[in-house]
Amino acid sequence: MLIETDLEIQPLGVAQVLKALQDKEQADIVIFGKQSIDGDNAQTGQMFAALAGMPQGTFASKLTIADGKAQVIREIDGGLQTVSINLPCVVTTDLRLNEPRYASLPNIMKAKKKPFDMLTPEELGVDIAPTVEVLCVEPPAERQAGVKVDSVEELVDKLKNEAKVIS
Amino acid sequence: MSVLVVAEHDNVELKPVTHVVIAAALAIGGDVDVLVAGEGCGDVAQAAARAAGVNKVLLADNAAYAHQLAENIALLVTDVGASYSHILTAHTTVGKNFLPRVAASLGVAQISDIQGVDSADTFKRPIYAGNAIATVRSNDAIKVISVRGTAFDPVAAEGGSAAVEDVAGVHDAGISSFIGEEVAKSERPELTAASIIISGGRGMQSGENFALLEGIADKLGAAIGASRAAVDAGFVPNDMQVGQTGKIVAPDLYIAVGISGAIQHLAGMKDSKVIVAINKDEDAPIFQVADYGLVADLFKALPEFEALL
Repeated sequence: MLIETDLEIQPLGVAQVLKALQDKEQADIVIFGKQSIDGDNAQTGQMFAALAGMPQGTFASKLTIADGKAQVIREIDGGLQTVSINLPCVVTTDLRLNEPRYASLPNIMKAKKKPFDMLTPEELGVDIAPTVEVLCVEPPAERQAGVKVDSVEELVDKLKNEAKVIS
Repeated sequence: MSVLVVAEHDNVELKPVTHVVIAAALAIGGDVDVLVAGEGCGDVAQAAARAAGVNKVLLADNAAYAHQLAENIALLVTDVGASYSHILTAHTTVGKNFLPRVAASLGVAQISDIQGVDSADTFKRPIYAGNAIATVRSNDAIKVISVRGTAFDPVAAEGGSAAVEDVAGVHDAGISSFIGEEVAKSERPELTAASIIISGGRGMQSGENFALLEGIADKLGAAIGASRAAVDAGFVPNDMQVGQTGKIVAPDLYIAVGISGAIQHLAGMKDSKVIVAINKDEDAPIFQVADYGLVADLFKALPEFEALL
């Protein structure tokens, strides 16, 4: 399924579109990545879960389904946390959940013949007009490369007497 | 204008990152209230009340909030936050977990990981792993924002004397439960709060070799971090990962050992004040951001380094 729009896509809009699809599809588990590599927002899965009234297992490193519940081991700042959540649920994946399965050439060829549904947000009854404007994008402050030192002695000396970060 | 800050804590201690979020809230302006949600967390509320610049502390003390389950906390924050112009929390795994649910429930966007406040509706945030800084303006009635823990100078932990009020009513969605937690116990400082960090990468070759970093960390009072490569290889646990998808740190001194310096790692540490790189590959990109670079075999250099401290 492809949802097409000319509008700029922001996390809330994506979550609203997927919620409209979920109303039709009634999936038991909806899986997201934890964050995109461009926007780094880390929002869409959780927003979708809230709109759909579902619980969430974010930053998952292990997922077990049993008795109508999902047990999720989550990567948190201090270590790992295990939660049990009712189905249907949202899972967002962390780096170590599994080995990615890459598409084989025959499957890539077959994929070209799979049926394709095209929809627009309007057809789904969703208004995804963004409410956050990007005013400008600039490079961050550049960090200058420093000096190479020749020995551990010189390094320790510089840290003590030049940078003064150790005593 | 009024700002609600959702405190980060473990029911016992107020996490220092909350003082950073309060600083960001004060930069926005207006009254700054702090919400403390947890179980048996009265001391945390008192600590929040003593932070400089806080107008009022709201305490929601109930078993439903004991483990910061996103489903319950988000309902509470959505309810309490609806009367504020801004809702702020830290861009940590706790904040990242519940805050987008709040934004979606309020029907507004979230602005993640801000590192600067231009005005009450305009903020700076990193994109593309920190390789670009976007200035964004929110046109929503309520601004929902997560704050980078290294981006603002924290307010003083003592000096304030705000009143603590109880929040009436309990929000328990009843769709999730806490099973358990494996939290690394360490005498060393936390990565995000440490003033010195020494990190190991793939060049460490094994988890056992991280012992070479431990002796140095003990002498310097440093925290130990790792690159994604070292975590993926199983050398050390995930909570040690520094980088775009791990922790963002900005200590006074960051020592990168056996780390080549992929942009995803640099995204997590390049705001450190002084960066040292020890790597045997003189072309490693880490040297481009290092103030002091030492091209050496880490297995020789680390014991020498420890001996000289």
